[in-house]
Amino acid sequence: MKNPRTYIDKMHMWGRIWSVSALCVLFAVPLVFSLYYNAFPPFNTFLSAALKIIPIYWLTAIVEVVTYTPMLGAGGTYLSFVTGNITNLKLPCALSALDRSGYKATSEEGEVVSTIAIASSAITTTLIIAVGVLAFGPSIVKITAPGSVLAPAFEYVIPALFGALGASYFAKHWKLSIFPIAVGVLVYVFVPTLAVGTMIFVTIVAAIAGALVMLKLKVVE
Amino acid sequence: MDFKNSGIMYALAALVVVFVTAQSLFFLVKAWKRGKELGIEAAKMKQTVISSALFSVAPAISILATVLALASALGYVLPWIRLSVIGNLAYETVAAEAALEALGTSMANSDLNTIEFSTVAWAMTVGSCFPLVLLPFLCKRIHKAMHKVLGGGTAENGAPKKGKISANVGDVLGAAAFIGIMAAFISRSIMGVQKDGPSAGFMTIAVLLSAMVFTVALDLLCKKKHLTKLEPFVLPIAMFGAMGIAVLLTQTLPPEWTEFVWRSFNENGEIVWRGTV
Repeated sequence: MKNPRTYIDKMHMWGRIWSVSALCVLFAVPLVFSLYYNAFPPFNTFLSAALKIIPIYWLTAIVEVVTYTPMLGAGGTYLSFVTGNITNLKLPCALSALDRSGYKATSEEGEVVSTIAIASSAITTTLIIAVGVLAFGPSIVKITAPGSVLAPAFEYVIPALFGALGASYFAKHWKLSIFPIAVGVLVYVFVPTLAVGTMIFVTIVAAIAGALVMLKLKVVE
Repeated sequence: MDFKNSGIMYALAALVVVFVTAQSLFFLVKAWKRGKELGIEAAKMKQTVISSALFSVAPAISILATVLALASALGYVLPWIRLSVIGNLAYETVAAEAALEALGTSMANSDLNTIEFSTVAWAMTVGSCFPLVLLPFLCKRIHKAMHKVLGGGTAENGAPKKGKISANVGDVLGAAAFIGIMAAFISRSIMGVQKDGPSAGFMTIAVLLSAMVFTVALDLLCKKKHLTKLEPFVLPIAMFGAMGIAVLLTQTLPPEWTEFVWRSFNENGEIVWRGTV
């Protein structure tokens, strides 16, 4: 048997190579377009556009990398950040796969399961978007357009997703769940339009603080 | 020739799709092989693949809808590319809007010139690239630090390492962090107000509760009847079921019910209680 330590180390090595390659592919898109059409943006215009986006996005990136990395496993992290849609897709997908498998997130089995889940999810999503744009563009517009019979299904995909995912978790850990949800609801009462990406940090802190207090009081073990 | 949906744009999209799929397959194969070495049954891994793929269908269609929503201003291909790499449903729309605003135009404008278009493309790319810059430096460090505290990973002798805190405390904190993420989305469905999505009210709570009821009922059914084969499908079925309920309710109930939200925006853009959508 190979030295098991090498698997995670290899994942990090491959992950770094893939991340740097992904950066190249990412920048190839505007670069090739600008070269092909000889259409480089004037520096000042680009700067004013970028400055509107960078402060929020880069700050969010730092917080996201620090928050999600421990939950996604090594392979899963590299894959998730390249393919995106983490909170609304990759993370729930990995969590539910881990939950059903019964492995711990920190175990190597957990690492394997979450990587498989995220990879399958990424492939499915990439293919659906590709096929959707190429073949069904106009009909998808009809399906999801306001007023269509099926529109509500897609409008409420987030509560459907997190309701389903939450139920199995909350049933098992209801004591841990009440406090963060209560905090989230309370914060929304006063800051109704808070971005969910920001709220995540509030509720994670609440959940962990609540858990620590309950561990101390031996309410949970 | 429409440059937004031109051959070169499609070629770039093809490059991105092939790249992302190749990377996913690469990690899938590596993980699968390692899983075999660790003695995880092939059936279990197969189930993970199938249930994850099914689970992703509905969110993928919402992402696709975002692509198409951005298409009037940016064409099909750029939003497609942006949502296939790093992109996030919520961020890309905001990024594109911010870039267009800096140019003095908006999403409603469908005749951008090539310079404006490339400005948007560059701005979206620079805005979203940062995680990929951070990961090569931070990912390994974060995992090492986590394993030090929580245990896990694998020591030299092949046994799982012990963490600084006991395993059950680690489990509780791990579960708490997961719950924290879900709590954010759930509390928004209970009490949030959104400009570009459904605000909390009758429908969000009805869908949330039906998804929960479906999950619990299907889980019970699996346990009682020993339907282990059904288990991986519980989540996708519950999700589609709740989405079906959303369609059913809007079709059968009067709009006073289905449009009821706790709070919404009034004509001055202020948030007021007990309005309708």
